[in-house]
Amino acid sequence: MKLNIEPLKCIGCGLCEVVCSLNRDSVLTPMTSSIILHIEDKSNYFGLVLKTKSEGLVLGRPEGTASGQQASGASGPGAKPILLREPCDFCNGETKCVKICPTKCITVVD
Amino acid sequence: MYMANGRAGVVDLTSVEISELEIDEDSLLSGDAVSIAERLLSDIGGEGFVMGSGILTASLVPAACAGFVIGPPKDNGKRIAPLLGHAGAEFKLSGFDFLVVKGRASEPGYLWARDGMLEFVRAPEFKSLDSWGRTDKIRDSQGDKRIQVLSVGPWGDAGFDASQFVVDYWGGEDKSGLASELGRRNLMAIAFRGMGEFEVSDPEGHLKACLRIQADQIDRMGRSSGIESYDAAFAREDFKGLLHRPIACFGCPFPCRSFLKIHEDPRVMEHSHKEPGYLHYDIPALHKAFGSGMSAREATDVLIKCARAGAEPVSVLAESMRSVGNASASSIEKLLGSAHAVPRVGLDALKGGFAQSFGDAQQYMKCLGLGLCPRYWAKAGFSIEVVSECAELAIGVPLKG
Repeated sequence: MKLNIEPLKCIGCGLCEVVCSLNRDSVLTPMTSSIILHIEDKSNYFGLVLKTKSEGLVLGRPEGTASGQQASGASGPGAKPILLREPCDFCNGETKCVKICPTKCITVVD
Repeated sequence: MYMANGRAGVVDLTSVEISELEIDEDSLLSGDAVSIAERLLSDIGGEGFVMGSGILTASLVPAACAGFVIGPPKDNGKRIAPLLGHAGAEFKLSGFDFLVVKGRASEPGYLWARDGMLEFVRAPEFKSLDSWGRTDKIRDSQGDKRIQVLSVGPWGDAGFDASQFVVDYWGGEDKSGLASELGRRNLMAIAFRGMGEFEVSDPEGHLKACLRIQADQIDRMGRSSGIESYDAAFAREDFKGLLHRPIACFGCPFPCRSFLKIHEDPRVMEHSHKEPGYLHYDIPALHKAFGSGMSAREATDVLIKCARAGAEPVSVLAESMRSVGNASASSIEKLLGSAHAVPRVGLDALKGGFAQSFGDAQQYMKCLGLGLCPRYWAKAGFSIEVVSECAELAIGVPLKG
């Protein structure tokens, strides 16, 4: 199982971030999620970064999706560096980010 | 306490004293954050302003993105502006449900809230910057591009009635001149970053109820094309020709925000380092610009100029029409650069504004007081009954009607 991201379907609502933490820690916060919404307001450039066990970081950028990036350093799109976050565990098969994404920009691929 | 921090930050800018005030659980769970904010404002003698969030702000309820700013009444009218985008949720996640501001700082600066901490940061250099420059400066100096910034521009500094605050560069929320409340206190911006978390009474139940309500609303409303999905007047070819992508506020499945690019090809999705466009969600301003004969490109250019100056565009366009008989980019630029106040166009004349979402002020306050976007919920169909199940599973008690 893996998650597929179609970045141009993303509308930047951020629900995937908070539902991820709800599954992981039973709280609402974007701080502990495995998926991070990255937004650059002035250029309306936005997409998703997903930390996976098998592919490293998956970058869902408007110009395309790329995997295999390694998490590094203390910087990153979220206030908590992605290096310190847990990789996606597919919510034990429930993939809650897939369920809540209103535009289906995140889907499950077997 | 579910879905709340249980506290307000209180800032006296004159003495630079910062304190905290406990907000009791019963008040917060009432779901009427606007009344709590009015009480807090009254407690400081009405001489200041209060920023607030609702009990459902940052929850999974669709479009639970709203915070608000409330200032002292003027001309017998309530002055309240929603705080949208990701700002409402981010403010609440910064560790405060409310922020009470009074006094006047001895030099320019901004308030910085994150991780339950609040400080006044002196920034004399802000005096020479416009609202966009202030937002850039804060994000650069604090090293985080996701810091949410409510900033004022030179018009707010000057205390003009027709000023507006902008949120992350964009305007549309502040139609009551609340920016002047910040400006006259030497407060150039408020910045916040959400590092907190909220416990939920029944996490699985809350998620399932919110998924049901979201699915029902998407079934009925379909997919949004941005602002034209809220007002067909913007389905014009010149507007669509500049459309880059719609973008949503936190948790919104049907965004009203359309980003237009005017200095580069809007179809290009690669990253750009220019300042190429504007996020349109100010329906009254667009109506006024198009009604003045402007094209989508000219309207976008004018709204950028107004946002940077921290000037409310409907009032600026109306004044340009009145004083020189037209509303061209050059006449607007001249007006924005002048040191003369222009009259603020009253809320009643702002068709399509957030405050006009329901045509019923009580519904508007109820929706905003819960932390829900009034524009989205007016379209989706708001009632306490509709949101009650999602809400109760989040906060553990039934919502009051």
